Amino acid sequence: MNKFINQILQGSNVEALPIMTHPGIEAIGKSVREAVSDGNIQYQAIQYLHDHFKTVACTSIMDLTVEAEAFGATVNLPENEIPSVTGRLVCDEESVKNLVVPSLEKGRVPQYLLANQLAAANITDKPVFSGCIGPFSLAGRLYDMSEIMVGIYIEPESIQLLLSKCTEFLVAYCKALKASGTQGVIVAEPAAGLLSGEDCMTYSTFYVKQIVDAVQDDSFTVILHNCGNTGQCTDAMVATGANALHFGNAIDMEGVLKQCPSDVVVLGNLNPVGVFKQGTVESVREETLQLLQKTAGYKNFVISSGCDLPPNVPEANIRAFLETVEMFNI
Amino acid sequence: MNQNFLEKLSECVEFGKINLASPYPPQMKGFPGADEITKEALEAGVTPTEILNEALITAMNKVGQKFSENKIFVPQMLLSAKAMGASMIHLKPFFANGTVQRKGTFILGTVYGDLHDIGKNLFGMMVEGAGWEVIDLGIDVKIEKFLEAIEQNPTAVVGISALLTTTMVNMKPVIDAIKSVSPDTKVIVGGAPLSVEFAQSIGADGYGKNPQEGIMWLDKIVA
Ligand code: B12
Repeated sequence: MNKFINQILQGSNVEALPIMTHPGIEAIGKSVREAVSDGNIQYQAIQYLHDHFKTVACTSIMDLTVEAEAFGATVNLPENEIPSVTGRLVCDEESVKNLVVPSLEKGRVPQYLLANQLAAANITDKPVFSGCIGPFSLAGRLYDMSEIMVGIYIEPESIQLLLSKCTEFLVAYCKALKASGTQGVIVAEPAAGLLSGEDCMTYSTFYVKQIVDAVQDDSFTVILHNCGNTGQCTDAMVATGANALHFGNAIDMEGVLKQCPSDVVVLGNLNPVGVFKQGTVESVREETLQLLQKTAGYKNFVISSGCDLPPNVPEANIRAFLETVEMFNI
Repeated sequence: MNQNFLEKLSECVEFGKINLASPYPPQMKGFPGADEITKEALEAGVTPTEILNEALITAMNKVGQKFSENKIFVPQMLLSAKAMGASMIHLKPFFANGTVQRKGTFILGTVYGDLHDIGKNLFGMMVEGAGWEVIDLGIDVKIEKFLEAIEQNPTAVVGISALLTTTMVNMKPVIDAIKSVSPDTKVIVGGAPLSVEFAQSIGADGYGKNPQEGIMWLDKIVA
């Protein structure tokens, strides 16, 4: 059995794993642009959070543009906001056919590998989880998100070819992340949550499973994140075979826990903005406690934010979250 | 005969059959779609107004209903909107020459700082289907761009979309700027994190939780 999964299932406490790097970037006085472009700085942010917060694992930046940039998409890197992809790289069968699967030397990929390598080498007392985008969400970034939604029906062959190319790249990237020494990867597939369960199975699960099959083993976990899912995609998420599933704030966690097998670790789902960023210490405590009480008794539950914590979350709120979990465990 | 055309067209829009070439939905593969049927219908003497009111709008109402009940998802809804768009192309000349009156002009954009556009696109297509001319300004739309569009279309109604709690606060400066240069321009806002209370607090005239609510509001202000 996978080490991390075993640790969760056997443990007697509820563990906490907020997905965060921005609070670390801010604490070390760097900009988002510096952290997403320089592996050393990203590593320092991860190390800061490791040193200052008691979480069950560390995470790297959930930057959903690195992979699209490697494929050749134009990326906008604002000083202190999350990067974004501009424009559309492929638009029809022809351009999809001509799309070249990039090497891991392209764009900021080497910097991300460096950050993961440094974090894995220096953080040895708990797991470090890498991050990458999921195949459907990556394809959507290259093809245009609204267009891929209809593309799966009117140009299914082109979209499947595009998905295969995205998956080929992601498998190589995840293998490299694994080789960097981390203990798992959080695969972020938010756009698949807009599909029906059946389409999620065909256009996301089928490809995510290839990543799982290629890298998941006793020492490396795949955590599949889908914050778009409002319930209809849960079975499709389970079917990927990922050891752990991470849910957004749009879903009812109790329902999810009932639906997921007890040997799959289930993570979620406090609102990263409404609770962490805009809440007060008191409201964070209240929301955290409520979720802990609702999910009590499920040994496969790990409490987390519903998505990556955005820039400018007050440190006091992260502390309030972690303290509430600690108190609950006593 | 006319009824037959309207029923067939309505079905195409409801189930997202765009044209003959589109393989979707599988059970209609190889059959003409909204594109061809509209053309035929017009040639056979069905009026553009009938097409709009008795096929397109009724079909999109059904689609909107199914979406809000989680019976269909974003792709199916976008396909219906595309099918409707394929039909609308044939109606455009009648709008242009005044045979069919548009209900008005609707300027739509995602507020600056925000790049989410699936919901905005959906709403825009539905509004077009409801008989409005839609000017889509895209995503990350700055104040000046809204003002420019209003200057060119002084009677237009404006719609603003936001999906992030961090960008929904950018809507107020947009509304303030619009109201200061054009106090009579009506503004409707929407997007997942918004609420009626929030919309009121930033001075929006309307709020739509979903496309149907938005369209109902739009129809009311021109009634
Ligand atoms: C798809 C998606 C993306 C895609 C967007 C692709 C695109 N071209 O739109 C990508 C991957 C690029 C993305 C990026 C980001 N996203 Co995003 N994304 C989503 C997701 C999964 C779905 C949004 C969506 O399209 N919904 C479907 C449509 C149909 O619904 P809708 O937009 O609400 O629209 C409906 C109504 O609101 C209404 N409507 C919409 N507009 C209007 C306008 C008017 C006038 C009216 C009347 C009605 C109306 O009609 C629509 C139909 O019913 C949501 C999660 C979720 N479950 O919602 C997160 C979510 C919105 N994203 C989120 C975040 C944080 C981000 C990022 C910051 C993440 C990151 N770390 O990079 C970036 C931001 C980039 C930016 N600056 O904008 C958060 C927002 C949190 C918050 N409250 O602020 C969410 C909620 C996820 C989460 N749980 O944390 N995202």
